[in-house]
Amino acid sequence: MSRVALRLARRQARGGRRHLTALFACVALGVGALVAVGTLGAGLESTLAREAKALLGGDVELRAARPLPDDAEAALARLERSGARVVRVRELVGMARTMAGGGSVLVELKTPTAGYPLYGALSTAPAAPLATLLDDEGAVVQRELLDRLGLAVGDRLTIGEATLTIRGVVEAEPDRAASLVRLGPRVFLSPAALEHAGLVAFGSRVRYRVLVRLPPGLAAGDTRARLTRDIADPGVRVAAYDEAQPGLRRFFSQLTSYLGLVGLASLLVGGIGVATSVSAFVARQVPSIAALKALGAETRTLVATYVIQTQVVALLASLVGAGLGLAVQPVLTAALAGLVPFALEPKPEPWTIGRAIVMGLATTLLCTWAPLAAVRAVPAWLLLRRDVEPAARGRGVRTLLPVTVGLAALALWQAGSLKIGGIFVGASLAALLALLALARGLTALARRLPRARGLAWRHGLAALQRPGGHAPRVVVALGVAVMLLVTVALLEGVLGRQIDYEQRREAPSFFFLDVQTDQVEDFARLAERTGGSRPVFTPVVRARLAAVDGARVTREVVERRRARDEDGRWFFTREYALTWAEAPPAGTVLTAGTWWTPAQGHARALASIEESAARHLGVRPGSRLTFDVQGVAIDVEITGVRRVDWQNLTTNFFFVLSPAALAGAPATWVATTRVAGEREAALQNAVVAAFPNVTAIPLRDVLERVAAVLGDIAVAVRLVALFTLGAGVVVMAGALAATRSQRLYESVVLRTLGATRGLVARAFAVEYGLLGAAAGVGGTVLATVLAWAVVRWVLDAPWSFDPTPLLIGLAATVALALAVGFLVTFRLLGQKPLPVLRRE
Amino acid sequence: MMIRVRDLVMRLESGGRPVTILDGVSLDVAAGEVVAVTGPSGSGKSTLLGLIAGLDTPSGGSIAVDGVDVTALGEAELARFRRRTIGFVFQSYHLIPTLTAAENVAVPLELASAAEPLPTAARLLGEVGLAERAHHYPAQLSGGEQQRVAIARAVALSPPLLLADEPTGNLDSTTGGAIVDLLLALNRERGSTLLLVTHDAALAGRAARAVALRDGRVVNGHHRA
Repeated sequence: MSRVALRLARRQARGGRRHLTALFACVALGVGALVAVGTLGAGLESTLAREAKALLGGDVELRAARPLPDDAEAALARLERSGARVVRVRELVGMARTMAGGGSVLVELKTPTAGYPLYGALSTAPAAPLATLLDDEGAVVQRELLDRLGLAVGDRLTIGEATLTIRGVVEAEPDRAASLVRLGPRVFLSPAALEHAGLVAFGSRVRYRVLVRLPPGLAAGDTRARLTRDIADPGVRVAAYDEAQPGLRRFFSQLTSYLGLVGLASLLVGGIGVATSVSAFVARQVPSIAALKALGAETRTLVATYVIQTQVVALLASLVGAGLGLAVQPVLTAALAGLVPFALEPKPEPWTIGRAIVMGLATTLLCTWAPLAAVRAVPAWLLLRRDVEPAARGRGVRTLLPVTVGLAALALWQAGSLKIGGIFVGASLAALLALLALARGLTALARRLPRARGLAWRHGLAALQRPGGHAPRVVVALGVAVMLLVTVALLEGVLGRQIDYEQRREAPSFFFLDVQTDQVEDFARLAERTGGSRPVFTPVVRARLAAVDGARVTREVVERRRARDEDGRWFFTREYALTWAEAPPAGTVLTAGTWWTPAQGHARALASIEESAARHLGVRPGSRLTFDVQGVAIDVEITGVRRVDWQNLTTNFFFVLSPAALAGAPATWVATTRVAGEREAALQNAVVAAFPNVTAIPLRDVLERVAAVLGDIAVAVRLVALFTLGAGVVVMAGALAATRSQRLYESVVLRTLGATRGLVARAFAVEYGLLGAAAGVGGTVLATVLAWAVVRWVLDAPWSFDPTPLLIGLAATVALALAVGFLVTFRLLGQKPLPVLRRE
Repeated sequence: MMIRVRDLVMRLESGGRPVTILDGVSLDVAAGEVVAVTGPSGSGKSTLLGLIAGLDTPSGGSIAVDGVDVTALGEAELARFRRRTIGFVFQSYHLIPTLTAAENVAVPLELASAAEPLPTAARLLGEVGLAERAHHYPAQLSGGEQQRVAIARAVALSPPLLLADEPTGNLDSTTGGAIVDLLLALNRERGSTLLLVTHDAALAGRAARAVALRDGRVVNGHHRA
């Protein structure tokens, strides 16, 4: 039996080239998107794994915000005695300025001791050992710094109190902190030069890192475990290379997971095309199916025939799609190159490709379910009574339910998470139903509308209700694609406005860090003299959490946390910037407890805590915290929990203490000021020249760096969404092709009755334009809903709305629908009526 | 008895109201007999033929073909029954447009897993005078040629019962005559039973017996010498 089915499958395919081509294109695009995303994800994963030691800087890394305690030094000495190599690195931000007192730039400073790097290669121009280049007050800098200050190798620059000679340019740095946004270009300098600069003073934020390369025989995991036992201070973080960059890993895994859903969307849109083309194919084959049944072919054989046919085509399409997915890798990796601290190599994995192919085959099988149910329903007696329409089958709940369940299962598999997959399935169903309702509404409206005046309008509107219902399919397929692309544009807009410095009138131009108490008056005068607004000074006291409700924060407590709640650990061990205030900062929202009265604030040690910190630390009003401020314990009682808008671009704090709590504590000041755009450089340069210890963080600069990162991500998402648009176009072309013979007959009859070709073309234009408009309206409305939901629940950002992407999306959809429609049907306009009528 | 039809009733819905197409038809056809069913358009001839072939289920009555109760068979059994017992020739040929003439003839052979279906099909096409046209598609054949292919397909498995529904209905009289000659000759050679539906009196006249239907009832059935 199966041999018969195979033979029939091969032969019956002859009559369906056009339909099977549409199926092919849809599956190829869907699988292509999945392979593109999967291969990118696998490449990120494997590159991260391969580069893990280089990224961490060693087999094991110690990291602290203060110089290492004695027990850590002793443990390191033991390691060195057993053959380990140890490199110490200090990292901090500072200002680099030219000798002439001209420009200044915020830079990321790094001072490695000899032996750096332990893994990976530091590439410099000229190529020379780093120690040699840094010797005798040398500096090696990123090219960006030279460009911005107008300097060249051999020139001198000033950092803090030190004057350094630029000896080379750093081209690749293996363990450049893999945070997505960097504050400024890198400057390498020797430990001695850093001492001369005088920046490592009280209150400055230095990251102390110790990189360890273990001798053979010592495992990284064991060493990590031993170090955590030996070092009591939980503020010293110990990491082994296999857990390097958890943040970066999480970011990339989330990015590929979301991209995967966009890829899945293109496969599902392709599924509509599969269903449409197979449905049209089967409809054409009905007489043959009836004849075969009359000749004694069993329904089983016939269904097997079409399953074999569609699966073979889907398999070929999947293979071509996999090739397509691999072919776009260079474009995708180029888009993300700026986000990744190493060369990203796409990794074609059999598992990723195989999975995408299985997805393609399964989607094809599910989407051909209903059309193939129609094969079962074709009665053999159709050959005798062709005037009777067989009852339509294959649209009932019993057919559609397994299809829906199957597709949902595929979505869950792709998402890899019940929650994300479930949200995706729910959102897809909602979008599908909304677009279907819109299409139905459009056809119903076309029916109810008063008779249109123009012939073209009348016929174009009538064509929307053509039997066979191509309108819903076109509206759904194009609508989903439009929704994805417009969502990306809207999100870009929301985030863009959020970080568009020009629009944030309330935001300061600069954060000046580390202003010392005795510099405050001079600083204020200088800022105002140079065109800035009167600076706002906020005191900052650096501290660590020592105890919660009397329980000491020990490594044991923190490690126990680590198992459950990675973020929670950070709240116990991080270095906090505390501030004090008499009155609540502007815009404070208390979610629990109260704020102190001025009298209470000056009498008692009280604290207000940010709500996420309260949640992770497990404290509430009435709880007691102990801070360690340079070795001095400060006890406070929490009186209130605040909600903080972290995106408000002002100085925000996890803890605000009462003035009494921090009386006498060593404080530095953060100064914020706003200055006209053209005076920004002058203000920064004047401050840096007068106060070499002060670091200026220009907000415009930082926001532009964030915008560049977002831009890169948007390019990647848009690229994957283009697959969906491609599938949408194929669906529309397929749906129009399916109505080709009716369309031909109608146009010929119209022309026989005296209509011009122009009139027929105009009627087509009305039909295609309205289809495009419906898809455009539906897609953009859904995009607005989706973008709002993402902004509200995923990005946790304030919503803002600009209709421009919607208008562009709508216009582009109408244009696209017209273009696709005419490409598919323009040849009908040239057909001579008589031969067509004779054939009917 | 090859065919034994008793009190056959067929009602259908048409435009929302029931229409009786066959109203108590009884008919016996002996093995090897050639019988014509005649009657005006709409008298139920084709429906009778289709019900005998098991292409549809009657509203009432019984049909036995070669001793098999056709109305009692399930979908898969019916398919096997048609394959083994019945050859069908349609007015509009119903060749499969995507298959060549030889492949069309080969379909029943392949469904029955016969050995060497395509060489057999080529031989059968030779028997109907189309040896040269084996690799042509239906669209490349004339009406008469298409009907010959359909006849070759119908007799491919030498079924004991041949059913022909207006086999000459779409053909001019010369071609139609040739087709009838072919059908009768093949039937004679194979010793099968032939039941043909026609409203062409000349064609009906060449059968051994004619049964006339009107409004779904048998109005007469007489033997000729």
